[in-house]
Amino acid sequence: MGELNQASVKSKGKNFFKMVWKEYSVVVIFIVVFALCAIIAPKFATANNLRAVLRNISTIGMISLGMTFVLISGGIDLSSGAVLATSGTVLILLQGSGAVPLWVAIALCIVVAAGFGFINGIIITKTHMPPFIVTLAVGIIARSVTMFITKAATITGNNVPEFTNIGNGSFLGVPNPFWIVLIAAVLLTILLTKTKFGTYVFAVGGNETAAKYSGIKVDKIKILTYMLLGLCVAVAATIEMSRMAAVASTTSGSMYEFEAITAALVGGTSFAGGRGKIIGTVVGFLILGIISNIMIMKNISPYLNGAVKGGVILLAVLFQRRER
Amino acid sequence: MSKLVEMKGISKSFYGVEVLHDINFSVDRGEIHALCGENGAGKSTLMKILAAIYKQDQGEVLIDGKPLSKSATSFDVQKLGIAMIHQELNLLEEMTIAQNIFLSREPRNKLVLIDYKKMNKEAKEIINRLDDSLEPTMKVRELKIAQKQLVEIAKAVSFELRVLIMDEPASVLTSKETEILFALTKKLSEQGIAVIYISHRLKEIKQICQKITILRDGKFVATKNVDEVSERDIANLMVGREVSRSVATDYSGDANDYVLEVKGVSDHFLHNVSFNVRKGEILGLSGLVGAGRSELMEFVFGLRKCEKGEIFVNGKSTKIHNPTAAIVSNIGFATEDRRSTGLVLCRSIRENVNHVYQVKNKAFFNSGKRFRENTDSMIDRLSIRCAGHLQNVSNLSGGNQQKIMLAKWILVGSEILILDEPTRGIDVGAREEIYQIINDLASEGKTIIIASSDLTEILSVCQRIIVMHDGEIKGELLSSERTEENVMKYATNVN
Repeated sequence: MGELNQASVKSKGKNFFKMVWKEYSVVVIFIVVFALCAIIAPKFATANNLRAVLRNISTIGMISLGMTFVLISGGIDLSSGAVLATSGTVLILLQGSGAVPLWVAIALCIVVAAGFGFINGIIITKTHMPPFIVTLAVGIIARSVTMFITKAATITGNNVPEFTNIGNGSFLGVPNPFWIVLIAAVLLTILLTKTKFGTYVFAVGGNETAAKYSGIKVDKIKILTYMLLGLCVAVAATIEMSRMAAVASTTSGSMYEFEAITAALVGGTSFAGGRGKIIGTVVGFLILGIISNIMIMKNISPYLNGAVKGGVILLAVLFQRRER
Repeated sequence: MSKLVEMKGISKSFYGVEVLHDINFSVDRGEIHALCGENGAGKSTLMKILAAIYKQDQGEVLIDGKPLSKSATSFDVQKLGIAMIHQELNLLEEMTIAQNIFLSREPRNKLVLIDYKKMNKEAKEIINRLDDSLEPTMKVRELKIAQKQLVEIAKAVSFELRVLIMDEPASVLTSKETEILFALTKKLSEQGIAVIYISHRLKEIKQICQKITILRDGKFVATKNVDEVSERDIANLMVGREVSRSVATDYSGDANDYVLEVKGVSDHFLHNVSFNVRKGEILGLSGLVGAGRSELMEFVFGLRKCEKGEIFVNGKSTKIHNPTAAIVSNIGFATEDRRSTGLVLCRSIRENVNHVYQVKNKAFFNSGKRFRENTDSMIDRLSIRCAGHLQNVSNLSGGNQQKIMLAKWILVGSEILILDEPTRGIDVGAREEIYQIINDLASEGKTIIIASSDLTEILSVCQRIIVMHDGEIKGELLSSERTEENVMKYATNVN
């Protein structure tokens, strides 16, 4: 009996490490990447450099938080980058004209981005077309309409401190945009793990039919996840516009959706839906930010950025594959 | 001469949990050998080790007395003539029968392209030995499930089959299809092929098997000659205790206390169907496949729209146009397919148990304490065997998954509980437990409607039986009228 107990304690300890590895392997990878960077580039782990990293990843970070919800619910959104440009244009046009107070401009930016989320959600749930196709098409439409409205020009806003501070200021030594992302991450973690809505998102992504048979309003949940992502895109747009005080209708936000999906996948969110964590996504976009940063520091061609990130996706997902 | 297959001292663990412990199992040429045990007993795992899908932690597998290399792949084992037909069939739906049979070893012509003419000709020879009506060029998608099973067997035969492992093959077949399968199995065994037959259905085992090996909780219990043991003996060996056969008593509550009345349901499939059920009654809904049982249940639960039809709950006319409305009326529905429609497999026990509870509760924020208590009470009440609340439902045995599905509805105090095939694919022991749960619920005053294709189940559990045929209710059977003959008479509509 004593032997048996010992064996079970031992296997419990082993199981604990297995569990930590299974659930938080991405955190371990992050620590390793961070340590490696600190070793190969002495300037990497300085306050100034890390501040720059945090400021730079905030826009993508914000989008990836919303993307995590959409992916967990079994969807995907390829329109986010274009919608960032559209809602950003609305924000800059209003802010630049000086006709309305800043908060009204931001509110309308949110309405536009969440509106696109609603359109995505409605089309996906009512027509049962694959989210990949619907959001791809909506993204192309959004980009095109934005270019039409702005005649494909770059539009500048007003450089007033209350606006530029959002993206460029700092609080307690930490860049404002990162505070915003951090607060959003905390709120969204609570939303995902501690509320009815969060549980339903997991249920819908895990087994849509079973969710429906349990009385969960599947369509409503799906539409809400796309709108929530829209909200995140609007916040990302506000950060980006504030930092640049300008929007380029043709390139703003281009490929951001893929960066956001990458961050979520690296962070352990399941592409098939049903599983994922906000903390994972946060670590995911931090890893991506660090990689971009270290490559600049080491004077590696920026054209190789994608090669490294692609490798990171493959490695991260490979490590997180479940044992059979 | 050495045995055809011999497995010695096989042990296997998943996630640190031992699922097989020191199992010995052997089978000889031409033998039909039943492998029996409750769900989670380790039958499928043992056979997947033989088929080299899993690797054993300890022990060895001998084929013709020669040890099988530990690095052997499932394809290597197939080439040795050992084939396994899984519960979930592994066919490519969009490909033809011939393409499926010759997958990955297609005959080539001189240009190294696939020689379809030769492939179809060879496939036809093989498949027509099993069923004349099949053409090798038919797409698998167009076949019935029994025919798909034949394609799997044909594929196995094409490898110079020596051992055929079948995992619950009859659970998806009609009785006629089962007979065909049995005839085929006997023919194979006469050719010297060993057949390992995994099943819960003791009747089937008595009918076709010569030997039986019983596993319990991953341990070897016994190997016996089938004609030396009774069905009761087998059941007792499987559960390790006496199994009592429950007999349905008559309904003893208030004869006029109708909690659910369904009137005049009609659409292109159902024809003017009406029935009612009383408080605390266990109503059985019988009929052959395609009789309209599932469609009727879907209508009551708001999953199916019908042209006509009214529902009265507690005497009040109630519109049920979606599952949420049904849940508001205290109706629960445990579906026939727990894996694809009943549970969110990749989520925890706790989340699954509380899904309907959350729908019924207004609170936006989850109460962790409440959820824990709910889950504890259900695990306790239904004796769900699990490692803990946070274990994924996918890792549970069929019987325990079924209990989780019931728990969702019991937790919210459903007054009317619709159970579609409540014991499909679960073992004798768990089955008895489910029946006990059903009886307990009824005596608490909950109303139970059981739709089932298992006649024994309907007869032994239901107080009243409604028999459907072709979208209509053909008969209603009470107390002593409840016999197999009567049910079949109405189900097949012969008078």
